[in-house]
Amino acid sequence: MELLTLLAVLLIALGAGLALQWPALRRQPLPGYSQRAPFLGGGTPDSHAWNRYHIRYYPMTLLLIAFEMEMMFMYPWAVVFVEKGLMAVMEMGMFLAILSVGIVYAWREGVFKWQ
Amino acid sequence: MAVSWLGRLAARAPVPVYPLLGIGGERALYPLALAGRVTRVDSPRHASVLLVAGHVPVHHHEALKRVHDQLPRPFATLWFRSQPLPGLENARRVDDPATLTDELVALHRELQTGQRGSSPRLLPDEPPNPWEGLGDDGHGGEGMMGGTPYGRPMAMNMQDDIRDGLTLDSLTFRLGPFYPLLPPGLAAEITLQGDVIQSWTNQSPAYPRALDAVFQTARERPVAIAELELARARHHLRHLYRALRLAGLEGLGLKALRLARELTPASHLDGLRRQLTRAGFFRLAALDGGALDAETARRLGGPAARAAGIDTDRRSDDAHYRRLGFRPALGRGGDTRARWHQKLAEIEQSLALAGRAVDEGDLTTVGPGGLETPCGPWRERPAQDAGGCLEALLPGMEWDSALATIASLDLAEGSASPPPGEAHAEEPQ
Amino acid sequence: MMAWAAMVLTFLALAVGGYAVAVADRLIAGACGWPHQGNAWLAPLARGAWLYRQDANVTEAPDRPAWRLAPALYLALAALGLALVPWSPTLVVADLATGVVLWGSLEALATVAIFLHGWSANAPLALIGGYRYVALGLSYILVSMFVLIGVVLPAESLKFSQVVAAQEELWNVVRQPLGLPLFLIVGLGLTFWGPLNLADSTDLAGGTASEVSGPPRLVWEIARVAMLVAFSGIAATAFLGGWLGPWLPGPLWLALKMLAVLLALAWLGRVLPRLAPERCVTLMWVVLLPLSFVDLIWAGLEAL
Repeated sequence: MELLTLLAVLLIALGAGLALQWPALRRQPLPGYSQRAPFLGGGTPDSHAWNRYHIRYYPMTLLLIAFEMEMMFMYPWAVVFVEKGLMAVMEMGMFLAILSVGIVYAWREGVFKWQ
Repeated sequence: MAVSWLGRLAARAPVPVYPLLGIGGERALYPLALAGRVTRVDSPRHASVLLVAGHVPVHHHEALKRVHDQLPRPFATLWFRSQPLPGLENARRVDDPATLTDELVALHRELQTGQRGSSPRLLPDEPPNPWEGLGDDGHGGEGMMGGTPYGRPMAMNMQDDIRDGLTLDSLTFRLGPFYPLLPPGLAAEITLQGDVIQSWTNQSPAYPRALDAVFQTARERPVAIAELELARARHHLRHLYRALRLAGLEGLGLKALRLARELTPASHLDGLRRQLTRAGFFRLAALDGGALDAETARRLGGPAARAAGIDTDRRSDDAHYRRLGFRPALGRGGDTRARWHQKLAEIEQSLALAGRAVDEGDLTTVGPGGLETPCGPWRERPAQDAGGCLEALLPGMEWDSALATIASLDLAEGSASPPPGEAHAEEPQ
Repeated sequence: MMAWAAMVLTFLALAVGGYAVAVADRLIAGACGWPHQGNAWLAPLARGAWLYRQDANVTEAPDRPAWRLAPALYLALAALGLALVPWSPTLVVADLATGVVLWGSLEALATVAIFLHGWSANAPLALIGGYRYVALGLSYILVSMFVLIGVVLPAESLKFSQVVAAQEELWNVVRQPLGLPLFLIVGLGLTFWGPLNLADSTDLAGGTASEVSGPPRLVWEIARVAMLVAFSGIAATAFLGGWLGPWLPGPLWLALKMLAVLLALAWLGRVLPRLAPERCVTLMWVVLLPLSFVDLIWAGLEAL
């Protein structure tokens, strides 16, 4: 039931977002090429913009994966935390300490810099 | 019915204006920035009115047409001290800065209430390369990456990245001469990999920017030091506005502009400086990098040189300046951050000098001789393409720090005489 | 029945809240030195009308379905986010047992929507904006999760209604003093607002939105303020005790707290400079993430 209402919210909002754009897109003809050229302050590009883009933060994305996996364990841990008491604090504290060392190491290696 | 109701509502919106600045066009920019009822936008897609301010030289008419055509309909053009291009006979022209805002608001209202049609397109409706019906699939492409699919080739890898040596695709495009975050007139061919600049080749230098008339007078006869120093401070404050807007601190930039407008020898910079520091301008914004080597700094002269610790200031030669206790303020490092510390220090110095000169009975300069303009020693001819230093400076920098570096340099200045074209633009047509 | 009433309330809050953000932003701008742009109450509506009447721009070869979908998707994510917020113990659209997890996934999807917006225009400046935003999106998401898990600990549940109920004695903003400031920074990132506006920034002439005009841009701007509203709803629920409060009815208390968060965000957006992307990533990982660890440990010890 709750998921159905959420689905309704999703569809209404998505529909509203598309509907606002719809009539405007239908009534207007395709603009000419002189309008469609990408804006570069009067300049022109040599090629399409889509390319094998050089993302400068790629080492950081790898580090993120390690943390994202860790999040999976954290949700159930959080729910049973009070029940398990100090033991849970210790466990997660150790886990976070190890990860923190990882961050410090990554920082030293320049992972967060634009490569 | 519904449309006209919407139109009337739309007519009351703050007018989004894309200012396209020609020679001397910044004269329109500063009052416009402080005027209510209009908003300055950075992309023609976001504008309702294209404001062409100042004379645009003929070799930039093609670029002007390109920007003009990039405004989505309905839009209008307003020409401030500039001759409308052929084909835009319906466009409106103004020469009086005082009526600029009213004209912009009126144009927007006329557009929205249907009293005025949209400006026509100036360029032919042709794809950059023919593609329809060509190639393997009729979309202009050939093989995996070849041909011109939908009118343009695909990006290719040309060279190893200059920072980490990876060979990914590079984007090459020409930016300017009307990119709002570059000095007006400056155009360059840029190659990027990711957001790091691989190469930067200037295509046209920034338009000369007219200095305050008092600098012209100071070359011919003694002028009041207070007046000269206030003009200098005003110049730097306007420069600060342009950089703060780029840094996302437009509110403080407008404060700087307001201070410039109401400058007196009793003005002081403390409030603005404190707010800048508190907002974290020097710590958070992209001010790293952009360090000039000693030779380039010396060639550029002025605050850029003094920020690099080079003791060069013609005011030291003036006996009356020395009497006021003038000693050039010097910075260290010569990078973008140092240049802003330097500029703020020089504004404060100028205000202090102006105050002291008034106290000394409105002291004047000694006389014609070496003159220090806000952007360096007076030169008979503008320095040959001050922007040339960018070609060595920018490669390897990220997009935002590259633009912040350009914003911290006075690339446009170098001429105290009215720039060419200004006289032409002033003529009533 | 309650769910439907809550749904109406949610969409009403999105509309009214979005309008309130637009007005508040203008008023704050006026106080921070911008020239007066006429009537601040009318200006957002007039601007919306202008955008609706302006032609939608098309680039040479855009990914058109994705380009039109991105603003609508971002709006839908905002609506879903606000749907998780309980207005009172019973008045809530969906009080999922995994509410906090769903909010986390919405934050992750927001990065996708914003990237899609920049990528699909097939224009250089918009593309840079999109990729730049991903760096930010991947950096703030961990901070957000650790901070939210901090509020889950005392509640012993991932339900937002339980999170509120656990604040009966003391709000989390006092109990976990690091939580709300960190979460506000996440909010600035999520809505690419002010100092964290790396996607639609000035140096890129509008970034992902630089090629967008007309109705699609209208939806994009609506979605952005809607996301601010949704975020403020979650922040008020997680840290400011949600519906809790004396005298006034619960929903009104929540609305007031959301307004306070919105004002704080709008003000921060106007007074701070835009961060350099590289510095932003370092700041998130090296300063804010360890701080969020501290917040989590603090919350844990406090909850026992």
